[in-house]
Amino acid sequence: MQNKLQIQETPFVNEVRLGAAQWAIALGIVLLGVCLAPLFWPKIERFETGLDYRLPYPLSKDYWLYARRLRQRDDARSILVLGDSVIWGEYVLPDGTLSHFLSRESGSAGAFANAGVNGLFPLALEGLVRYYGGAIHGRKVLLHCNVLWMSSPKADLQTDKEEKFNHAELVPQFWPRIPCYKAEIAGRLEIVAERNLNFLAWVGHLQNAYFDQKNILAWTLAEDGGDPPKYPNTYKSPLAPITLTLPNAFKDDPERGPRSPRHKPWSSDGIGRTQFEWVDLETSLQWNAFQRLTKLLRERGNDVLVVIGPFNEHIMAEENRLAFRKLRDGIAAWLSQNQIPCLVPATLPCELYADASHPLTDGYALLAKRLSENESFRKWQSGP
Amino acid sequence: MLFHTWPFLVFLLIVLPVFFVLRKTRFWLPWLLVASYVFYGWWNPYYLLLVFYSTTLDYFIVLLMDHCLREGQKVDLLGRLTRLRFNDRVLKTAYLISALVTVVCLGLVLGGPATLRPMMGWLWLIFLLMAYGALFSSRRAWLVVSVINNLSLLLFFKYANFVTQNMNWILQKGHGALRLPEPATLMPFGFDYVLPVGISFFTFQSLSYSIDFYLGKTHRERSFLRFATFVAFFPQLLAGPIERARHLLPQFYQFPVVRMRDVTDGLSLFVVGLFKKLALANYLSFYVERVYERPAAADAPALMLATFAFAWQIFFDFSGYTDMARGVARLMGFHLMLNFNNPYLATGLGDFWARWHISLSTWFRDYLYIPLGGNKHGAFHTYRNLFLTFLISGIWHGAAWTFVIWGLLHALGVMFTRELERSAWYRESVPNLLKQIGVFIFVCFTWIFFRASSLEEALLIVRRIVGGAWTDPACPPLMLGIVALIWLYQFLYESKWRPLLQNSVVRVSLVVFMILYMCLFSSGGGAFIYFQF
Repeated sequence: MQNKLQIQETPFVNEVRLGAAQWAIALGIVLLGVCLAPLFWPKIERFETGLDYRLPYPLSKDYWLYARRLRQRDDARSILVLGDSVIWGEYVLPDGTLSHFLSRESGSAGAFANAGVNGLFPLALEGLVRYYGGAIHGRKVLLHCNVLWMSSPKADLQTDKEEKFNHAELVPQFWPRIPCYKAEIAGRLEIVAERNLNFLAWVGHLQNAYFDQKNILAWTLAEDGGDPPKYPNTYKSPLAPITLTLPNAFKDDPERGPRSPRHKPWSSDGIGRTQFEWVDLETSLQWNAFQRLTKLLRERGNDVLVVIGPFNEHIMAEENRLAFRKLRDGIAAWLSQNQIPCLVPATLPCELYADASHPLTDGYALLAKRLSENESFRKWQSGP
Repeated sequence: MLFHTWPFLVFLLIVLPVFFVLRKTRFWLPWLLVASYVFYGWWNPYYLLLVFYSTTLDYFIVLLMDHCLREGQKVDLLGRLTRLRFNDRVLKTAYLISALVTVVCLGLVLGGPATLRPMMGWLWLIFLLMAYGALFSSRRAWLVVSVINNLSLLLFFKYANFVTQNMNWILQKGHGALRLPEPATLMPFGFDYVLPVGISFFTFQSLSYSIDFYLGKTHRERSFLRFATFVAFFPQLLAGPIERARHLLPQFYQFPVVRMRDVTDGLSLFVVGLFKKLALANYLSFYVERVYERPAAADAPALMLATFAFAWQIFFDFSGYTDMARGVARLMGFHLMLNFNNPYLATGLGDFWARWHISLSTWFRDYLYIPLGGNKHGAFHTYRNLFLTFLISGIWHGAAWTFVIWGLLHALGVMFTRELERSAWYRESVPNLLKQIGVFIFVCFTWIFFRASSLEEALLIVRRIVGGAWTDPACPPLMLGIVALIWLYQFLYESKWRPLLQNSVVRVSLVVFMILYMCLFSSGGGAFIYFQF
């Protein structure tokens, strides 16, 4: 039998108690703020892309900025060159990338825009385009296919052992399952929310661009890494770092470019030939993601041209080449079957590679030259 | 599952609509139970067995108590022993089963697999007592079974390591060869020895039902489903409030009446709790952890501010959880008890405990302090009872000497302020603000022992606060400013200026501020401190 007298009304010990109308007003204001802040932010934040712009390395995970960049008016007519660090230019300066040399070959500065992001791989690239690349529609897209990601079960993220990798926020969180990705469900759901709520992505942009990729409160307590540690932000206003000016493309990056010690042929370090455990295309997670990506781009009305490699065959052990070529030809065959134009440029000279897949500055120049001389490429470029 | 995480949001978005869809059927209560078990099992499904075990045992113990003879009735012991002549079939069945299981357990203790022996030994004791209870028709014996059962679960999972370490240290000092086995080695079937989340809460809640029934304060719950839902009700399963059967159980008799006011109040409570956890407790925890992780490297101001920050961290963390729990329950039309009432405005330590973790304080008052005699047998007994109650309350919080000291300090503090409050001078001449500050400083001092990882570290912190150098504490003014504003809010709330806070514009602005602040500044993760208790 219910004894209603025993049920006591829950007392409040503060006055933060709203009625229905007050809740409606509060939620309305919040909704307005949440919707408008990311929309109006670009109007007050200076963001100069200019020629040869690429997303600065420290902002590689600022996907909101990536989306914003794609919507920039000065990029709207360019052909997008989409891909991982090979397109972004791991060892080269912004004026040493494939997009720069393709623009030069075409005789029109800015004809090709660098839409690569450092640290990507097909599974993440697919996520980037799906969730933050809405502006990539009805455009010409040169999509790079880096077979390095199929060069071993580990690179293909097939292994069962947990692996930490870049851009986990972009890979499929639930399906298809990535065996080596062991994030907690709470973290996965948080990522899904961030992808779908523009406001959260914008907050991520603020953290990336102004607060050293930290939560703003954590930033006030951040250590400088010294021993004993110092706390440089303790007495700073949390609003002070928001300068409303985004960093540019680091044209004098000491880590990259011909003057950098990293910018040298792979063979100069005495690295021997490498054995690759090429995965089967049928079961490859990265290749399947790449396939989905090409479909997605075409569904969005893009005119896609895929460039496969050129992978550094010089680094490859002799007995690996057959399997590599079979894999590369398999990729080309699938693309042809699906009426996606593709080019398979010849391998560059040995000294023009910095590692297995990244060319050096002259390598990019040569690749751009070869592509521009290709009839199919020229036809695609000049097409409607 | 944590209230402030995305899985909980998904969970709630499934549970709430289905709960309301089922309102006209018999299935809303089973649905609530299933949801509660999923909520708990999300963390570790194996420990659901413990919740289920504790629930089942207390349910049947109260059933058996209900079948025991009333006062004045006599037991035909000889008839029961020799001819199984029971005048109650339930008791007879209980006796037969208990006796049988006692024999089986004894057999397994003597000749069973080594990994099962400790558990069988414990079950043997429980079933022996049950057989005794059935044979003698003793309500008290059944109560003892319930108390032993619940407390032994708690003791084993929470205190066994602490006891073993200390006993083995003593045995070692005595140069004896005897050593107590590590508790992890006593786990059956190779289960991990991990403290089940919220064990102190659900065992106390379940236990309170048996004690209340024994004392005649509540009726026997006939529906197992309802009782199981009462024990496992997900909003308060992991960290309270520790509800009493007479308050929560009647709310499960029929589908609750849910008015718009319940929804808006539930939302208000939840947002305040979420803000306390995400925006405040987590922020304060960064500073507290930084300083308390290396107290030897910190100077007096940093240690003082970290202790101050911890006082607020634990308040925001725990009261935030309770607010969210009450908010979620309220969204479904259920009312959970108040657990925190602005404790840092307390003017005495007794007042502090009437405002801090109220459900636990009243639990100890009702089931320990009063049964010990309360304040009815003179000053000495009153102080002895107070002392014991606070000591046990300290130990309830954790298995370490720091918690024992923390409990002792509160016991001494309560005794001292109780005497102080008896003097007219103190009551009438000392301003309330001074009393509040005094209580807050004392409570902060005790938090040092609560937070420090060892007794040595706690003493080091005290020494460095008293005699350490005065250097820059590197504590962000933003953090201190936020805490100061909230303290000011609480002062205003309990002052004649309260109508200022009741203004609609102020209230709406505060909610808007809290939500936007959480969206912009909050840090995601972090379990609740009180889960470990």
